Amino acid sequence: MRYVMHAMRMNLRRAAQYRSSFRMQIAAQIVMTFGDLWAILLLAERFGGMAHWSLYEVMFFFGAMQIAFAVTEMINRGFGHISSLIRMGDLDTMLTRPRGIAAQVILSELDPRRIGSVAVGLTALTVATLKTGLRWTLPDVLLLLWGMTGTVALMMGLFMIEAVVCLFSVQSVEIVNVFTYGGRQTCQYPLDLYPDWLRTTFTYVIPIGLCLQFPVCHILGKPLAGAETGGWVWLGPAAGFVFLGLCSLAWRLGLRHYRSTGS
Amino acid sequence: MNIRAYRTAFAVHARQVSRYRGAALGGMVTQAFFGVMLVALYEALAGEGDLLRETATYVWLQQIFFRAFFSTGGEIYEQIMSGSVCYSLLRPVDLHLWCVCREMAAKIVGVTMRLLPMILIQFVLPESWRMLPPDSPVAFVRFALSLLTGFLVIAQVNMITAAVTMRTLDNKGFSGLINLVMMILAGNIVPLTLAPERLQAVLRWQPFAQMLDAPIRMWLHAGPAGEWALSFGVQLAWLAGLTVFSRCLWGRGIRRIELQGG
Repeated sequence: MRYVMHAMRMNLRRAAQYRSSFRMQIAAQIVMTFGDLWAILLLAERFGGMAHWSLYEVMFFFGAMQIAFAVTEMINRGFGHISSLIRMGDLDTMLTRPRGIAAQVILSELDPRRIGSVAVGLTALTVATLKTGLRWTLPDVLLLLWGMTGTVALMMGLFMIEAVVCLFSVQSVEIVNVFTYGGRQTCQYPLDLYPDWLRTTFTYVIPIGLCLQFPVCHILGKPLAGAETGGWVWLGPAAGFVFLGLCSLAWRLGLRHYRSTGS
Repeated sequence: MNIRAYRTAFAVHARQVSRYRGAALGGMVTQAFFGVMLVALYEALAGEGDLLRETATYVWLQQIFFRAFFSTGGEIYEQIMSGSVCYSLLRPVDLHLWCVCREMAAKIVGVTMRLLPMILIQFVLPESWRMLPPDSPVAFVRFALSLLTGFLVIAQVNMITAAVTMRTLDNKGFSGLINLVMMILAGNIVPLTLAPERLQAVLRWQPFAQMLDAPIRMWLHAGPAGEWALSFGVQLAWLAGLTVFSRCLWGRGIRRIELQGG
């Protein structure tokens, strides 16, 4: 634990060294997330809501997804950058240390800049709450937090898979980005807007639907794709942890076959 | 001025970029996924019909030419930050034009490599998700001319970003910000054609819309020659303005540059 705290402090201090750049990058995060929000506003205006969802209901999905993804990136930048760790030989250094490899990779780069996206996500949730007049109860809040936690676990798993592919190919593999960044993009809208195959993929295979969307629907009191929500939605986010478990198995397996790039 | 040097810069870099087939493939899969996802979303919102087809066409053209938005591998940034830009400065060429040639080579080759597969994907898609062919042969010619101009506009914005890097010696902050603003205002995140009328009057004429939005509109609607001339004229005007601005920044940056390293 002491090691974790130390790594976090180091990362924060490193980021704060380049102050103007740091501020610029937070601004960039805000602009990026706001760009996505702008798209939702524009589309809802043009089409009068989104199918059977109102603008503000969609903003709940958007806010929850953006926050979960930003938190993942904040703590998980290391796995996102695995290809450079491999190429520079940093991973080899880590392998010699008497600490868990996954923990070292994660802690090698924490990314406080993502706070910008979290801020925009929170704003979206707040505005949506005010406009829909939703009354949050304690279980609702807990359910949303639990859902986001599950999503963070799930996303970490996806980044891990990306890393496993990198262990073998050395290059960064953009294709895996389809699931991470594509997943964020897809799931900031209610999944029942999409055709069946896409919805099923993101509900059960990469279970963002189970982790995040069913809980959000439960809070809003609306069904998702015809499926009524109930107490069972509390089980959904566990799927994210199962997913993470499977991915870390793959990571361990990959690591056993890892061959350094040497130098 | 020796044209040959610039032609060589273009050709050499074109060949370099054409080596990265893996990157092109990965990028293509990502772009194809985003295309499908967005078109599926617009189908849910707009239902079948002309609006969907036009929006789908807009989305696909944006995805096909997506690569053109980005600077070529950030090489000039790396040079500026590592100080090895001094070697480039020694070349008896106009460095600004030299870099523009390289940018254009990367854009044209990068896009060409992705072009055919992205078009082939269209045949697998359900009919209502496919992109429409150009409105008429005339529309296609106008589109092609305008697209090339659009690429030049992007190259100038890339150069402005590089010039700012010379000053700040950090490529992440500013270039990240400008790239995002570019994505949004160029219509990559959401088609500008879906914006409300009043907003469109502003959106259409801002510099970022001259990159891909203007050409795509020409692809979609042939329109009278006068209307086209206006749109193309605005593109050229922005190109001229941005070129002057970026050369100015670049010139000042070069004079003041502090080389890193010994």
